[in-house]
Amino acid sequence: MELIISLIINGLATGMLIFLLAAGVTLIFGLMDVLNFAHGGLFVWGAYSGIFAYAATESFTIGILIALLTGAVLGFITEKLIITPVYGNHVQQILITLGFMIVLSECIKVVFGPNGIPVSVPPLLAGSWEVGNIIIIKYRIFIIAAGFIIYGVFHYILTKTKIGLIVRAGVMNREMVQALGINIKRVFLYVFMVGAALASLGGVLMAPYSGVIYAEMGMEYAILGFIVVVIGGMGSYSGTLFAAILVGLAGSFMAYYVPYLSLAVNMIIMVIVLVFRPQGLFTVAKG
Amino acid sequence: MKRQSIFTTSNTVFCVMAVILAIVPFVSDSRTTLILLTQIFIFGILAMSYDMLLGYTGIVSFGHAMFFGIGAYTSAIMLNMYESTMAIFTISIAVGMLLSAVLSFFVGLLTLRLKSHYYAMLTLAISGLVLVVAEKWRTMTKGNDGFTFRAPEFFRDRMMFYLFALACLIVIYIIFKRFVGSPLGRVLIAVRENEQRTASLGYKTLHYKVIASVLAGVVASLAGSLYAVSLRFVNTSVMSMDITLDALLMTIIGGVGTLIGPLLGAAVIEFAQHYLSGLARDYPIFERWIIIFGIIYILAVIFFPRGIVGTLSQKLGEWKMKRKTAAVEETFQKVPPPGIADESGEWK
Repeated sequence: MELIISLIINGLATGMLIFLLAAGVTLIFGLMDVLNFAHGGLFVWGAYSGIFAYAATESFTIGILIALLTGAVLGFITEKLIITPVYGNHVQQILITLGFMIVLSECIKVVFGPNGIPVSVPPLLAGSWEVGNIIIIKYRIFIIAAGFIIYGVFHYILTKTKIGLIVRAGVMNREMVQALGINIKRVFLYVFMVGAALASLGGVLMAPYSGVIYAEMGMEYAILGFIVVVIGGMGSYSGTLFAAILVGLAGSFMAYYVPYLSLAVNMIIMVIVLVFRPQGLFTVAKG
Repeated sequence: MKRQSIFTTSNTVFCVMAVILAIVPFVSDSRTTLILLTQIFIFGILAMSYDMLLGYTGIVSFGHAMFFGIGAYTSAIMLNMYESTMAIFTISIAVGMLLSAVLSFFVGLLTLRLKSHYYAMLTLAISGLVLVVAEKWRTMTKGNDGFTFRAPEFFRDRMMFYLFALACLIVIYIIFKRFVGSPLGRVLIAVRENEQRTASLGYKTLHYKVIASVLAGVVASLAGSLYAVSLRFVNTSVMSMDITLDALLMTIIGGVGTLIGPLLGAAVIEFAQHYLSGLARDYPIFERWIIIFGIIYILAVIFFPRGIVGTLSQKLGEWKMKRKTAAVEETFQKVPPPGIADESGEWK
């Protein structure tokens, strides 16, 4: 029993980390229908800049804020320079953002050096609780909480507020929203910036969890993010959350019971889902 | 229709190029040049096979490295387990091709029904799976450490291997050229241009796409076999994303939808890689030369989506067109025909 509870907590924490990363992907890929392979680059930039600020100021909060800022600024640059010329053309999007991904992750090596940087958990969140025989690591609980908060906030904004309404309407029919007098270009720019900031947030929260950050981690985690969005269904926030938790739990249980399959489990889930239900587990009807 | 003679200008140019490349090892003593050119031939084959997917059928695959890796590992393992003779090497190429064909057939059948970006991601995931298998199956592949093996006696001489790679390149080029011009190749181009229309004309587009993916996989496997023998060493990096990215870059920079483009792209990138990493010894700034590539690549996608060859042939076409219209106009100015051309000069 204790074993299963620990496995569930581990799986939830991993799932939430994946969700934080995928939350940005859902916005950009799921809603705006832009395939941004540079997402991993934004993730790494968030991790490095946040950890750099954390090391300089000794405050994890400032690190998170800096990461969000970096993400938003990079998101602005990416949207203006890279995405604008290729809206609506998936193949071009894949190709160009892949190029930008290379530039971003190589720039990391130029600025921060090619070697990995070790990261420690902030003192407030370090350590663990013991409940009976179960050891609960505090940072994992923090991540689970952060994931649910982000989910709640975005779910609320997208479904209950006017901004969410405009975004959803813009996704369905760009021209129509434009005709109603809303500058949809600017709205999409903001959405992209928020998505990029979420990627950076994922990066900086991931850093203390994995204990070390390196330039190549971007691509690895970006793939995970895409897998989760595809499994969950395009544009469905709840689907993404569900898929992230599913992938996290599957990974954590597989790692214990069938260790040699643990690396492959995400891919296997995605292959199964895509072959039998190509539209994803949860789908939003689109006009 | 008039049957075209084989001795067109472009064919003559290719023959002359092939002869010059075949003479190079007898004239030049430089080992580095020979190795570099061999690399270009091998990656040229890979890039051409990638272009079969990206340029001719319009499929973005992120899993091309797995076929390259299968070829490399098949050859390496067979040469290591049995004796290193030419016969074994030939058989290993065939076995690698067969494995790639079977794998690409099933992957294609399962995934090509999906939309382009799902396909891209699924191939990425499947090649990730294959990479994990290669890393975990240590008894066979020795994991990430890799292993060295002896190349066949005949290839100990670099020059022989150079000529062999060149011969492979030429054969593959001719096969592809014939394939693209064949009715089958035409259907593939139609799929790229407008898949729905091709389907409504009665072609089963899925079948054609699977054929393209099998062909590309088989040829990529050949490139992998050659690559393993040229290094006499193999590890899991042959299956990594970098190989796919290289093929993608070469195709895009050289020119999608042309056969000579990927070859040119392979040459440009291998040369640049060689010289820029040579420069890095003196100027540390060039250590991160990949950035320069990334930037060039982005600019190429935005401004020259047709690549070097595509842009050049477009310019050439425009120039020819202009000369033709100028000549026609000249004739018409002598005898102005009333009512054929309107004021703007456009033909009715």
